[in-house]
Amino acid sequence: MLTIALPTGRVFSEAAELLMAAGLPASSLASPGRKLVIEEGDFRYILAKPSDVPLYVSYGAADLAFAGGDVLQESALPLVEILDTGRGRCRVVVAGPASLAERFRGHPSERMWLKVATKYPRIADNHFSSKGAQVDIIHLHGSIELAPKLGLSDCILDIVQTGGTLKANHLEVLEHVSDVSLRLVASKKSVALRWDDIRAVSRAIRSRCKEVRS
Amino acid sequence: MNRLPRGCANVGGDLAAAMEECKRVFLSLFEQWGYRPFLPSGLQLLESSWERLPSLFRQKLIAVNSPYGEPCCLRGDITLATVAYLASHHSPEERPLRICYSDRVYARAEKPRLAMESFQIGAELLGWERQGADAEMLFLLLRMLDEIGLEKSILLLGDATFLAKAVSEIEFSAAERIVGALQKGSLIEYAALLDEENIPDFYRAILQRIPELHGGPEVLEEAAALWGRGAPLLSLKNVVSTLTALGYGDRIAIDLSLVRELGYYSGPIFDVYSENYGQSLGGGGRYDRLLSLCGLQGQAMGFGLDLQHIASLSKFRTRSPSVMAWFANLSPDEALRRAERLATGGRPLEMSWCADRASSLENATQRGCSSWVDLSDGSTLDLATKADGRTLPGKEELPC
Repeated sequence: MLTIALPTGRVFSEAAELLMAAGLPASSLASPGRKLVIEEGDFRYILAKPSDVPLYVSYGAADLAFAGGDVLQESALPLVEILDTGRGRCRVVVAGPASLAERFRGHPSERMWLKVATKYPRIADNHFSSKGAQVDIIHLHGSIELAPKLGLSDCILDIVQTGGTLKANHLEVLEHVSDVSLRLVASKKSVALRWDDIRAVSRAIRSRCKEVRS
Repeated sequence: MNRLPRGCANVGGDLAAAMEECKRVFLSLFEQWGYRPFLPSGLQLLESSWERLPSLFRQKLIAVNSPYGEPCCLRGDITLATVAYLASHHSPEERPLRICYSDRVYARAEKPRLAMESFQIGAELLGWERQGADAEMLFLLLRMLDEIGLEKSILLLGDATFLAKAVSEIEFSAAERIVGALQKGSLIEYAALLDEENIPDFYRAILQRIPELHGGPEVLEEAAALWGRGAPLLSLKNVVSTLTALGYGDRIAIDLSLVRELGYYSGPIFDVYSENYGQSLGGGGRYDRLLSLCGLQGQAMGFGLDLQHIASLSKFRTRSPSVMAWFANLSPDEALRRAERLATGGRPLEMSWCADRASSLENATQRGCSSWVDLSDGSTLDLATKADGRTLPGKEELPC
């Protein structure tokens, strides 16, 4: 039996659709109710909080998982990224009020000591330190866009899909950090020891992703 | 409550006992095979570590100044310390050298890893120039894993030379990016780099297949076919055939995309996995290149395992409950003399110096002892069945 961890929330339905479209026995995922573990055919699906998904794989509770690129970067766990599904596309950006744009157009040193609110402290630290800018990182767990409005921070580092939430909060994109999409990942152990099973799943999903793109 | 520095931990209780048991099994097995214990210094000079470690590993070193003002780091890698010592303290005539160790290593705590110190057991074999040396090390490692109850653990075997040769015809920085992508586990980035970089078709075809070269010994044939003649797999094939002949065929798997964190490997490499845990318990491999960096020529093989991890998965994790021996108001010397004879039975023994029988029994129950002995007459009470009010049938006579 192959165990696949799926992130609940924003990308759950995309991951579930992808599995079904790839021909895997996953019809129960269409309406999982409150179940957190679902078994169908030779597969077990674990429904987990997105930020916990990499941990399930890393510790061996799941062989495979779907996880967003942002979550993978933030977790920094040694996983194997097998496939970019191209689904759930969004961007990690630094955003803030328009008045801050000038500082982001100038020398990186002008970003020094900015207060940055984010749910991705690791990505934020890597991003700003790669530019040699020391910033104050404020770790929040949600409603990041509120932080500059309430004077808690100068800017934010967050994921953006359409930009609608930023606009509604009078924020604009100041800097692009990275592109994010839904990835198929596995632990190094599973890749090495269950490669035939993983390859079959990966190929089925890959062919489905290609069909959608073409 | 005493606070510890962040990233540090005290280990006690059953886990500490299990770690000591695993360490004892490991050291006694390797010493039996001629490996000599080595206790490297906790502080290493930065100048002797820096050039020999890859940049990713250097970033994790914890730099400190010694009280004498010398720039140092807390020991981040025992192999390096061992090889440096052997290079400067043993003449070539003294080889082969066999070393085993059990000690702490230190690395900068970085999420998700919060610990700064960890316990490592390991062994090094330097100076044998034949294939048997690689197999010896892996055979003993598997024997040790068996003895601590990890009979279903797996050795994942790869070969650093295979990848090194596959990127040998590529411009250096591009080769570094390609190996880096594989090391990071990003097959997406790896595939993209193979498309982008200027790579001769022959090598591109091999590199494209590397992420799929997992499985049993048949993978070695598949990999060899990619090269035609001259596949850099001889050492690995020898290891696999020897371990298979020794009955360990079902305990090894091949992964030719394996890249170990330390960049000094130059031949067969391996990671150890247990049945029920996703992360590597440690690993090692051939490091002839490191040896040459230390001014030595020849073959070297070593490994390091995380002692805390293996102990937590070992058969020693659940400690057998002890026997409580009540001194029964005998003189301490007489009580200890009688208890000593009980202790030689192999089960852990705890003395009870309570003044009365009832308190001693209560204490034994609270401490989870399996049985209780009255040292005055040798009568034994099985604490598991005590609830039924029964004593063991017949009184065991103390051997005194």
